[in-house]
Amino acid sequence: MKRIFFALCMCVGFQFVQAQIKSGESLVFAASYEISGLMTNIAQVTLRTENISTSKNTFLHLILEAETFNKWDSFFKVRDLYESYVNPATLKPSMYKRDILEGNYTKTEKYIFSADGKTINSTSKKRNRAELKRTFNIGTSTLDVVTLIYKIRTVDFSKLKPGQSIAYTIVFDETEYPVTIRLMGTETVSAGNLGKKECYKLSIGAKTDRLKGTDKNLIWLSTDSKRIPCQVKFSIPVGVGQLNLSKASGI
Amino acid sequence: MRKLLIILSIIFTVIGVVFTILPMGNIALFPTSIAIVLSVFAVIFSKNNNKKLPKWILVLSTVTFLAVIGKDVFIKDQVAVDQQFIEKKEESKQDAQKELEGLDELQ
Repeated sequence: MKRIFFALCMCVGFQFVQAQIKSGESLVFAASYEISGLMTNIAQVTLRTENISTSKNTFLHLILEAETFNKWDSFFKVRDLYESYVNPATLKPSMYKRDILEGNYTKTEKYIFSADGKTINSTSKKRNRAELKRTFNIGTSTLDVVTLIYKIRTVDFSKLKPGQSIAYTIVFDETEYPVTIRLMGTETVSAGNLGKKECYKLSIGAKTDRLKGTDKNLIWLSTDSKRIPCQVKFSIPVGVGQLNLSKASGI
Repeated sequence: MRKLLIILSIIFTVIGVVFTILPMGNIALFPTSIAIVLSVFAVIFSKNNNKKLPKWILVLSTVTFLAVIGKDVFIKDQVAVDQQFIEKKEESKQDAQKELEGLDELQ
């Protein structure tokens, strides 16, 4: 599931900020994985947003939840929670949290981004191990993976030609990864309760062994101003899978 | 040949039944379809033998096939209401709020 999530996150970036991400949005996906040549539904992935206020600021809380369908729970239960707290206008992250339960494996992680965006104070804990704290340097434009998913939706892809790409950097498992998003063209795909949507077909490339193949990790973002992720396909060392949007609300 | 067909159809029927019980979705159609085809041939080859086993295997594999279709049509994929996970999300949010208040004070 960690690899699947990473692949999903790789499927996403930014450059020409236009659209604003709204609070109260919810996107529900059915995640399927290829088993013996057939796609089998294994989990529900939910992306949602909400506002969270402190005495001085308001943050946009970006949430990604992954839960296996109840029929899989007795075999391999997944309850993953990824969160990011960002500036609502710029999507600059202030804090990133990760709490995963995958079968018997658990891990929690918390990144506090410094105000200048150059360092991260990280706290992490794996199952049966002591809590680790460390501080590491990052590039000023480095994003956490949850923020990246939303950031890419602010890109105006109509200004790109097929074949052109956008480069950026994400931080995952305390390591920075350069990622490129290449526009491949447009396609119409099914988007759950939204019907069929014309989408930008984007190919994700990353210098990591977590993703496999060329143009095998893809995301379809609707061409309208909402830029809803309608479909994601990923190829990882242990197989291939996809996420299909089943329900979108509050958009 | 008849014995081989019977043995293979039993094997594929058993695999089909196991896959149907496990949450393997439509994958269970593979072994059950093969089991049906093999058991049909086993029935044909056993015509003069008057044995009942191939017919029973055919019935079982067909029922398994229908069960897979039925599961796919009538049982929808759902996520369980997990109170522990709901509480974890709420706790995480409350912790984050405190942490963000702390960050506000530093700035």
